Amino acid sequence: MDIKEGLSLKKHIILIIAVLISLFICISLGSVSIPIKETINIIWGLLLGKEPYGMYADILIHVRLPRVLSVMPVGAALSLAGAAMQGIIRNPLADGSTLGTSSGAALGAVIALSLGVWLPSFPVAGTVVFAIVFSFISLIIVLSLSYAVDKLLSNNTIILMGVIFSMFTSSFISLIMAFSGERLRSITFWTMGSLAGSNFNNVLLLLITLIIAGSALMLNARELNAFSLGEDEAMHIGVDVKKTKLIILVSVSFLIGVSVSVGGSIGFVGLIVPHTCRLLFGGNHFKLLPSCVYVGAIFLLFMDLIARTLVSPVELPIGVVTSFIGAISFVIIYYRRRKHAGT
Amino acid sequence: MRKRTLLLVLLLAMLCIGANAEEIKLTDFEGREVTLSKPAERIIVLMPGDCEILYALGAGDKLIGRGEYCNYPEEVLSVEAVKSGAEMNLEQVIELKPDLIIATKMAHTKESIEALDKAGIPSLVIDAQNIEGVYKAINLIGAACGKNEEAAKLIDDMKAGFKEVVDKVDGRSYGTVYFEVSPLQYGLWASGGGSFMDEIGNMLGLENVFASEGAWTQVSEEQVIAKNPDVIVTNAMYFGDGPTPIEEIMSRKGWENIKAIENGDVYNADTDSITRPGPRLIDAINDFYNFLYEEEAADKAA
Repeated sequence: MDIKEGLSLKKHIILIIAVLISLFICISLGSVSIPIKETINIIWGLLLGKEPYGMYADILIHVRLPRVLSVMPVGAALSLAGAAMQGIIRNPLADGSTLGTSSGAALGAVIALSLGVWLPSFPVAGTVVFAIVFSFISLIIVLSLSYAVDKLLSNNTIILMGVIFSMFTSSFISLIMAFSGERLRSITFWTMGSLAGSNFNNVLLLLITLIIAGSALMLNARELNAFSLGEDEAMHIGVDVKKTKLIILVSVSFLIGVSVSVGGSIGFVGLIVPHTCRLLFGGNHFKLLPSCVYVGAIFLLFMDLIARTLVSPVELPIGVVTSFIGAISFVIIYYRRRKHAGT
Repeated sequence: MRKRTLLLVLLLAMLCIGANAEEIKLTDFEGREVTLSKPAERIIVLMPGDCEILYALGAGDKLIGRGEYCNYPEEVLSVEAVKSGAEMNLEQVIELKPDLIIATKMAHTKESIEALDKAGIPSLVIDAQNIEGVYKAINLIGAACGKNEEAAKLIDDMKAGFKEVVDKVDGRSYGTVYFEVSPLQYGLWASGGGSFMDEIGNMLGLENVFASEGAWTQVSEEQVIAKNPDVIVTNAMYFGDGPTPIEEIMSRKGWENIKAIENGDVYNADTDSITRPGPRLIDAINDFYNFLYEEEAADKAA
C-alpha cells in the first residue's frame, strides 16, 4: 500500500484534534448543566487514573462517556460503509439507508428481539448476529434485483429497489410487532434508534468491528479506486473483482449490522459524510476512507448532542435528527449534481 | 262518581310519578347529559378502573362486555372482551345489545360515541384524574346501575382508608421520590405532578422530584442522578426472565450514589392498583406505606 497516497500526517493530526475537541464539547453538554470547571477536573482526574466521585462524576463517567464513546464508532462505521458502497456500486446515492441495508439489519434485530435471543452478560449478542446476517442478505437481494432489472445499475433503479426493499422490511417489522405481545415495548423503543443507556460493552464491540472491517476496507482502497473506472476496466488493471466485491460487501454488512443493532436505524450518515469528505479531501479512497472515520465520528457526535439537548429532557431519536439534516443535504447534493450533469 | 274519578286520577298520577321515578338523569365527566329510563342491566365497561368500581359496587353481574385490559377481579376475565379506543369495533359492541357503555376519554373517539348515540346506546364518559375524580366516578357508576347506597358506602370506606393512612403517617416527611413509569431500556419516563402516584406520595410524606412536570414526562438519566431522590418507585412488571425491576435499577451504572439506591429504598409498586382510578388505590397506598414506614423501620431497627 502506498502510504504517500493517504492523508498527510498533518491532516491526521488536525482531524484527531478536531475529534477530541468535539468529544470534549459533547461530553460537557447535556440535559443537566455541569460547570466546565467540574468537567475539566473530572476528565483530568480520570486521565490521571484517579476515580472522581460525586454526582457530576457519576453523570459524566457513567452516563455521558459511554454514550459518546458509542456514538463515535457508529458515526465512523456508517460513514465508512457509505463511502465503500458508493465506491463499489459507483453510485453517489448509495448508502445503508438508501439501499435498504439498514432496514434489513433492523428487521434482523427485531426478529432476534421478538424471539428473545440474548445472553446474560452480552444482551445484544443475538441482535448483533441477526442484524449482520440480515444486513448482508439485504445487500445481496437489492443489488441482485437491481442488476436483474437494469444491468447498468443506474441511480433510479438502485434507489427504487432500495426504497421498495425498505418498505418491505418495514411492513415485516410492523407485522412482527403486531404479534409480539409483551416484547412490543422493547421492539418499539428499539426501532426509534437511540444511544441512551450505552455501556462499555457496546463500545468494545463497535471498536473491534470498526478496526477489523475498517482495515479490510482500507486494504482495498486501491481496488476501490480502480472500481471508479468501471468493473471491466478494474478487471483489466488486474483487480480480482469478485473477491474485492465480496470483501467489501461483507465488511459493509458488518459495519452496518453492528451499528444498527447498537444504535437503531440512523439514516443519511453514509451519504452526507462521504460527500463532505470528498469535497474536502478528494475522491481518492486512500484519503477518503480515513477522513470518513474522523468526520463521521464528529458528525454523529453533534447529531447526538442535538438529539439529547434540543428539546431536553425529551430525547429525539437520533435517526430523526440525521434524517432531518440529511434529507435537506441530500436534496442540495442531488440538485447540484443534476445541475452539473445536465441530465 | 266524583270520588272514583278522583281516585282514578290520583292512581294514574301516582303511576306516572312511579314510572318516572325510575328515570335516571346523569351528567358525565364531559358534561354530557345522559338519561336512562331505568338502572342499567347490560353494561359494557371499557377501562379497567371502572370495571373494578363496578364489581366493588356489587354490580359485576351486569357486565356483558369489557375492555381488553380489564383483568380484576378474576371473574371479569370470563366476560367477553371488546376493543376500545380507536380500534373500537362498533358492530361487536352493538351486537352485545348493551343498555349502557362506560368509557373514558382515552377509550373512545368522538365519532364512536356519536355512532353509539345514533344506535340508541347511551354512554358515559369518565375521566378521573385524581382521587376526588374517582369518588365522582363511583357516584356516577353507582347511580347508573341503581347502586347509590353501595356507591356512598364505597366512597366512605375509601375516604376512611386514606384517612387511616394519613393519620398513621402523622405529618412525617420521608423525603423526595422519583416515580419511574418506564425503565431505562424502553426510554426513561417519570410520573410528575397530578398523577395518582403523585397524590399517594404526597399523602405519605414524599415530595415528587418531578412535581413541576406533567403526569407523564420523559426524563434523562442525568436528571435523575442530579435530583438524587430518597426513594425510587418503579411500576415495571416482571415477566420472569432477566433481573427483577428492582435489581435492574440497583445495578445501573452511575446510579450507585443516589440516596435511594444506597439505602435500598427502591419500591416496586403494583402498576395495576397504583395507576388505575379505582378502589384498589387503597391497597396501593397501604402497601407503599408499609414499605416506607413499617419495613424500613424494621430494617433499621434490626
